[in-house]
Amino acid sequence: MRRSDLGEFEEVVLLAVAALSPKAYSVVIAEELEQETGNSVSTGAVHAALQRLEQKGYLTSQLGEATAERGGRRKRLFTVTALGGRVLQEVRAVRNRLWDRILPNIRLEWS
Amino acid sequence: MIPPRFADRLLRLFCAPHLREEVLGDLHERYVLRVARLGVTKAQRRYWLDVLAYVRPSIIRRKPSEYSQPTNTDMLRNYLKITFRTLTRNKLYTTLNVAGLTFGVTCFLLIGLYLFDELTFDQQHSRSSRIYRAIQHKKTPTEDLTIAASSYKIGEESKKNIGEIENSARIVRTGRAYLSNPRNKNAFQETITFGNPGLLQLFDFEVIDGDRKSSLNEPNSIIIVEELAKRLFNSTQVVGKTVDFELDRPLKITAVLKNHPRNSSFDFKAIVSEATISGDDEFAAWISDWDSQNFMTFFLLKENANPDVAAAKITQLLNRNAKLAVGTSIQYNLQPLADIHLFSEDIVDGARNSNVEAMSRGAILYIKIFAIIALFVLLIACINYMNLATARASNRSKEIGVRKASGAFQSHLIHQFLTESLIVTAISFVLAIVLVNILLPAFNAFTNKELSLGFHTDYRIWLYTLLALAVTGVVSGSYPSFLLSKFSPLALLKNLKIQNKGSLSLRQGLVVFQFTISVVMMIATIVLFQQVRYANSKDLGFNKELMVVVDINSAKVRSGAETIRTEFSKIPTVKSVSVTSRVPGEWKSIPTVKIRPEGNTNEHSIAYLIGADENFAQTFDMKLLNGRNFGGMSDSSSILLNETAAKLLGVSEASGQLVEIPERAMGGSYSPLPSRQTFHARVIGIVKDFHFQSLREKIAPMVLAYQKNPVHTIDYFTSRIEGRDIPATLAKMSDVLTKIDQTHLLEYHFLDEQLARFYAEDQRRETLLIWVALATIFIACLGLFGLATYAAEQRIKEIGVRKVLGASVVNLTVLLSKDFLKLVLIANGIAFPLAWWATNKWLNEFAYHISVDWWVFVLSGASAIAIALLTVSYQAIKAALVNPVKSLRSE
Repeated sequence: MRRSDLGEFEEVVLLAVAALSPKAYSVVIAEELEQETGNSVSTGAVHAALQRLEQKGYLTSQLGEATAERGGRRKRLFTVTALGGRVLQEVRAVRNRLWDRILPNIRLEWS
Repeated sequence: MIPPRFADRLLRLFCAPHLREEVLGDLHERYVLRVARLGVTKAQRRYWLDVLAYVRPSIIRRKPSEYSQPTNTDMLRNYLKITFRTLTRNKLYTTLNVAGLTFGVTCFLLIGLYLFDELTFDQQHSRSSRIYRAIQHKKTPTEDLTIAASSYKIGEESKKNIGEIENSARIVRTGRAYLSNPRNKNAFQETITFGNPGLLQLFDFEVIDGDRKSSLNEPNSIIIVEELAKRLFNSTQVVGKTVDFELDRPLKITAVLKNHPRNSSFDFKAIVSEATISGDDEFAAWISDWDSQNFMTFFLLKENANPDVAAAKITQLLNRNAKLAVGTSIQYNLQPLADIHLFSEDIVDGARNSNVEAMSRGAILYIKIFAIIALFVLLIACINYMNLATARASNRSKEIGVRKASGAFQSHLIHQFLTESLIVTAISFVLAIVLVNILLPAFNAFTNKELSLGFHTDYRIWLYTLLALAVTGVVSGSYPSFLLSKFSPLALLKNLKIQNKGSLSLRQGLVVFQFTISVVMMIATIVLFQQVRYANSKDLGFNKELMVVVDINSAKVRSGAETIRTEFSKIPTVKSVSVTSRVPGEWKSIPTVKIRPEGNTNEHSIAYLIGADENFAQTFDMKLLNGRNFGGMSDSSSILLNETAAKLLGVSEASGQLVEIPERAMGGSYSPLPSRQTFHARVIGIVKDFHFQSLREKIAPMVLAYQKNPVHTIDYFTSRIEGRDIPATLAKMSDVLTKIDQTHLLEYHFLDEQLARFYAEDQRRETLLIWVALATIFIACLGLFGLATYAAEQRIKEIGVRKVLGASVVNLTVLLSKDFLKLVLIANGIAFPLAWWATNKWLNEFAYHISVDWWVFVLSGASAIAIALLTVSYQAIKAALVNPVKSLRSE
């Protein structure tokens, strides 16, 4: 598996989809990310990331229900595929392993 | 709670359709959230930012369709293929179409080139849009003059005092003299033109040798054109050499200019620097006042300066400084350089001696007429195409039906037919360009221009040509394509004849239109021809045949005139000789004088004046009505009047009535006679009216003064000669002249040729009209031929049945020709009043003209009918002769 397949923003979006499942679509993801990070996140950026992830096979999507505030338009709901889940886990494992190797006294200096 | 609409519209524009729903939905939902959280203003701003964040390839890219999508080029290739197949299958129609269009386009291009040349006069100078010519309007109680001239002061002081004016240039044409090369004695009569240094600064005359800007700065310098340099020196590298121009001082050549292009109003061969004469007393007199008309002045205005404002300031400047007589007012305006050629009709060409010919100018009226004719010819060719294409619609109905049934849209069919017409037009244009290049040498000789159509031609011509091609293609293709593509496929495939009443009457209307124009042109040609012949053969009141007019070009010859006259009359082939200041049919300007009976205090009358001698009446075969002829030197203060002048002055019987002539005008303003004294004269005779101007003018009052008169000096010997051995007569005349003045060259004209030059332009127009008329008739006939062929094809079964039932060939021919003849008759009915109106309007330009005879109409109408009949009957007879078995055998 090539790591470079998953950019940092993509990783965050993918995680958000997993966290918000089964009601994950671009607006809630963008809102969620804004709240979590404090930076403004445009739906356009999220949308593009979702498209890329779907293309890579980490996500699937289907159209959901329409609501009034959307002007009667349907939303596209995303769910993480098994492949996507594995990639997430793998990324996390790599990070965990690296975290574990940081010496405690260095961690103390940071806090 | 509605987000910015414009942002939405923008998004719809770039966003791929299949993503539009979710994207817009997301945006709107988020907008609602943001309004609740941040307020409307902020939410709107963020909305915009969000929309812009969607500008990325993955959103813009359209979803690929699962069906194959033929590209435009595929369809184009198909159109082209079908076009070529159709064209090659119907060779006759293709030939007719291409031939008609080629002819039309050739006419159009030739006339177009001519018009382009006329309309781009004087625009070769890089700053031509900022150069203006000063025009003086002078109003006094007796005269109202508009002249292209100004005073020296106006030119110089305007440059200094008026902010709009950057620079000025001026010329003055003082007369004609021998320009000679002292080394080899080559000498030529040329116009003496003086110019200031500004002339070379304003205009971009191209220089072959010498300096372009400063060549007129020094005194005693002269610039000449290439062609004159070749004549004088056989070379163009002649800067530094000296020439003589009868100015009492040698002139040094400082520059050689390229020959003037044909579309330049400037036609000077040589310009002498103004500094050469600026020390002379005479020059000092010329430049002393403000209101004179001694120079033709050009102004270069600053960028974006308003010429009207500048002209108003010039007028103000004049009024501040000049002391005008009571009742006199002078006003200036500025004429753009580009307007000089075509818009100078009512402007006198000033600042020239009366024996210098005026600058040539064009007539905007004829430019307009020719432009209309060119468009008509092209239109007729287009109509041909339309007619043939619509007529053949039913032949192609199956093709169109099948195309429609297998899914072609109307637009596809329109495109196909347009492609077809564009291809035909393009082929015709290529052929026409070849044809134009073949015809151009003849056309140039005839129009006296240097037109060309090639790679080096002005890009604008090609641009217009391409535009014309596109428009012609679309115009000629539009009607058939829209008509043919309109029918329902069901009707087409059931093989119902396309019975479209509308298109039938339109087709007939188009034929009527074509023939109307053709007949009008025929009538116009005949009338023009008759009028020109009338003008050249009318009894002018004198006999113009076998008259040789010899110019007096030097003071020696002028003072020895009496000797020369006697010597001339001793030549056996010379019948009679007269000495005059001007001749009837004069090409230079004839001076006018103010005249009134002595003791009368009314305003003066205006009359032309020619100085003549006692042999004048005899030589010109002129009739003396009463009184007596000049008797000799004792009659130097006697005058003859023509009938018109006599009537004007109230003289019915010449009996020595006294008249006074205080002022004269040599093509400009009136000024006292050179002697500064009023000329008092006695009327001793009245001559019959004679045409001394073109027949466009009414006979004006004319005073014939004796050869030695204070108004105008003698300028010509006119001899009536015998028709045999004219070259020998001329050689003897030359000998006589050289005996008096060795350097004098014989410059002569034949009076009848000179008079014919008045109508040379008309003759040229006549020739052009003949060719255009022939072309339109030819094109119209091509169309008619095609339509007749088609009609015969369509009615082949009907003809077969009729034949079986006993119809004769004549019957059938009449049947087929009748329809077309009707159209030509209608065309005649429309053309006659139209032609009558147009020709009368043209004839009214002439004070003396023919009246249009009825037979002209009959002749033109009959020939149109005959030509149409010939065209149609060929096909009709052919169809009538076909064996009915052939046409009825198969269904």
